[in-house]
Amino acid sequence: MSFAALFNIEWGDYGSDLLDGLLKTVEFTIAGFVGAALLGLVLALMRLSKSRAVRAPAAVYTELFKNIPLLAIIFLTYFGLPSQGVRLSVFQAGALSLIIFYAAYLSEIFRAAIAGVHGGQQEAAEALGMSRGATFAQVIFPQALRSALPGTNTMLVDLLKSTSLLVTISAAELMSQGQLIASETFRALEVYVVIAALYFALCYPLSQGLLWFERQIRAGVPLAPRRRRRLRRARILLDKGVTA
Amino acid sequence: MTDEIAVRIDGLVKSYDGREVIKGVSLEVPCRRIVSIIGQSGGGKTTLLRCVNLLERPDRAEMQIAGEPVFAGERMVCRDLARLRQRVGMVFQRFNLFPHLTAVENVMLAQMKAAHVDEGEALERAVQLLRRVGLAHRATAYPEQMSGGEQQRVAIARALALRPTVLLFDEPTSSLDPESTGEVLRVMRELAGDGMTMLLVTHELPFAQEVSDWVVFIDQGRIVEQGPPLDVLQHPQEERTKAYVSTYASHFAGGLEEAQRVMGL
Repeated sequence: MSFAALFNIEWGDYGSDLLDGLLKTVEFTIAGFVGAALLGLVLALMRLSKSRAVRAPAAVYTELFKNIPLLAIIFLTYFGLPSQGVRLSVFQAGALSLIIFYAAYLSEIFRAAIAGVHGGQQEAAEALGMSRGATFAQVIFPQALRSALPGTNTMLVDLLKSTSLLVTISAAELMSQGQLIASETFRALEVYVVIAALYFALCYPLSQGLLWFERQIRAGVPLAPRRRRRLRRARILLDKGVTA
Repeated sequence: MTDEIAVRIDGLVKSYDGREVIKGVSLEVPCRRIVSIIGQSGGGKTTLLRCVNLLERPDRAEMQIAGEPVFAGERMVCRDLARLRQRVGMVFQRFNLFPHLTAVENVMLAQMKAAHVDEGEALERAVQLLRRVGLAHRATAYPEQMSGGEQQRVAIARALALRPTVLLFDEPTSSLDPESTGEVLRVMRELAGDGMTMLLVTHELPFAQEVSDWVVFIDQGRIVEQGPPLDVLQHPQEERTKAYVSTYASHFAGGLEEAQRVMGL
């Protein structure tokens, strides 16, 4: 079987299907990741609470969903919940499953990152009269974010690949489109090689981009426009002082 | 000279897990004066200092900062803890600079997020303070790119940014090499010259002798002896003070005077 055989399929006929699938995959990834990051942050903060009553439910959640396969969660939300009168669309069920599953992992990463910020940081901010909210937003969170980045980035790429499991509920993402094309053309090998290549084309630039981002942050490059402006103004003020 | 009292503490008691580490300490820091607390490690010096800005909560004390009651009996009576802390600057032994921010941003942050000063003003003040501690050229460096002495000087600038009534120093040179120690002490000496009110915990006896108006020797949670620096450090009356001062001085062949000479004071 030669490489040229890949072109025995009239890919032009399926171009728009593949594009739709690709877009759907990206939509699931964004919805799943944003939701999981927010829920994961809430869970992490709960687990760092002084109150046992707040810590316990978050710990139970994390242990529960870390130890159930994602596929089981997908089936439960899409096929299981309707028996209780909860009918979710394919997109809702798919995104919700990703959120539930990945929030458990992200909460572990976030918890370790927040707990890892040195106690002296909290004290220094407190001693400067900063409120609890400002201390968290300005001092603890930015430092925790830096140490959480590598783990979080791995999870993001993992989540993107896991959207392919949604083929089991025909979610119209890339894998589902591949399955449709394969069943029409009877050329499973060619189709799935192309599908795999498309996943690679999505994931590789994403993970490389995230690595670049990590390196920038570690090197102390200010990425927020407001910080860039602030530091530029500082340099101008300093230069004035030298010539004055 | 003014008679105003920046910090007044009366009968402060503090315990951890039922063990009293401060057993009724009374202390006054008049405005524009410098009071040094000396003593063995574990004697309660740092805990006492941390009670002043309520990073530690006393079990019992009467405490006033700039004439305002902040603690009475077993209750905190300070209504606005954030404002109290803005009036009491603190410099830590381990600097505790914010590692994700540059030097200038470290000095700006609390101005903007605690005192709600606008950005332009905060920036100007930060640059001015960095000049004052001799670090304008390091304004856009991150803490990890700076030496210990430079970090501590940025920390001093950061503590000064909110125009505090009093500055607390918790062994500011204990984690520094001799050269950095000299840098930091030079800045502190300048502040003393400018009339800054300071309460410092230190092991640098020669420095304490030079800049302080009053020296307090604390041991096992109590004030053992206090007075003008020459009296306490050169002519201590109590046995425990004598032992402490001589232990320190014996590190240097010629005693305290030699120590001062060696350290360039």
